[in-house]
Amino acid sequence: MRYADFTPHDLLLLLQGLGVSVALFAATTVIGLAIGLAWAVLRYYRTPLLAPLVAAVAELLKNSPVLVQLFLVFFGLPVLLETDLTPEQAALITLSGNTAAFIYVIAVSAIEAVGREQLETARVFGLSRWQTLRRIVAPQAAAFGLGPLTGLLVNQLQVTSLISVIGVVDLTKVGAILNLRTLKPFIVWTVIGLLYYLMARLIARVCARAEARLRAHSQWKGL
Amino acid sequence: MIHIEGVTKRFGSHTVLDGVDLRVAPGEVVSILGASGSGKSTLIRCINGLEKLDGGIISVDGHRVDDPKQLQLARRCSGTVFQLFNLYPHMTALQNITLAPMEVLKVPRQQAEDEARALLASVGLAGRAAAYPAQLSGGQRQRVGICRALAMKPRYLLLDEVTSALDPEMTAEVLAILARLAADGTTMLFVTHEIEFARHISNRVVFLEQGRLLADLPTAQFFAADGGLAQPRIAQFLSKMSKS
Repeated sequence: MRYADFTPHDLLLLLQGLGVSVALFAATTVIGLAIGLAWAVLRYYRTPLLAPLVAAVAELLKNSPVLVQLFLVFFGLPVLLETDLTPEQAALITLSGNTAAFIYVIAVSAIEAVGREQLETARVFGLSRWQTLRRIVAPQAAAFGLGPLTGLLVNQLQVTSLISVIGVVDLTKVGAILNLRTLKPFIVWTVIGLLYYLMARLIARVCARAEARLRAHSQWKGL
Repeated sequence: MIHIEGVTKRFGSHTVLDGVDLRVAPGEVVSILGASGSGKSTLIRCINGLEKLDGGIISVDGHRVDDPKQLQLARRCSGTVFQLFNLYPHMTALQNITLAPMEVLKVPRQQAEDEARALLASVGLAGRAAAYPAQLSGGQRQRVGICRALAMKPRYLLLDEVTSALDPEMTAEVLAILARLAADGTTMLFVTHEIEFARHISNRVVFLEQGRLLADLPTAQFFAADGGLAQPRIAQFLSKMSKS
């Protein structure tokens, strides 16, 4: 006999899936930001060898499908390194790398959007390259980059749904499970879709707030 | 002493500065006149090390600008005010002024802010310390730019067409400050199109034409009929400028 009705337990399952998706998204965003920004700093310093290497890696990562990268990491990496990788680990590695590549691209163009004359001014006043990055470039680049970053993060949230393919029980996987049991695809996928939608809106809102704060200096407050 | 000797600068095949010799001694006010594209701004950019020289040497108080090891020391001696202000847009007027003293000279915050407030007060901007550049008028921005340069206590002030982006009223308010600085004995090298002002405050006038120094004369002599004006090009330039 099988349960075709929704039970209170399903809600728990849904929350669990949501938790996995959110945790994975948050973790890969943090790791991706750290790596992507570090790469952008390498480029800012025009580090020989490393800067071109990073650019090449980022090109590879952003120009191939995430699903293929996921398969490569989940199935390929264990063979190459002769280790075992859980689906969660594979998902974490793949999405972090993918996010890092796109954040690198956003950070590079945001840094380049800071006026050349500002860098020259900082130089004339004797600021080191690091001081210039920290006090002049980073605050302005952050404001420039937040718009594109919002778009990226909303997209990366949706991309996390791919990891259900390798068996991570995320929100999408929970949807698949509930759908198979209840055979009510319209209700199940509507709820799942709505949850992603709400998360995406939340991300956009948080980013918009941060952007408004970073751009406070260019807002008219009256003379 | 700012010491410029045989300085040549090329952009591609175009020679912007062609063997320029110039000395500015402490206490002097030297203005650089010349048509647009004559190399005036490039000369300023060479003195503060923003352009690499293709020939010649520049030293500021004995520190060679063309030697990367001495460049930092040379830059400490001079302060630059820019044509388009170049204020940091994400920082308040006060932060714009205190940044370099705090980061480069390691002045404690309280002291840096006190000095910045005193500077702002001296240019009539006591109440605008917390304003961002976007909330200031052009003249106010340039006054902040002057304060920012002065906050580093430079021995030489380099001014690159500091009023050319301002309307006549704002120009007057900035020039009044420069006149006061000159009267206080600040050493200045300034590129300008304000002929009357140059005549008024400078000890010496230098005329650049296509990267060459056409004249380097005491002010009175530069504007005298048997001095600078004896050169047809300078007479022509001055007559055009005074007509406009």
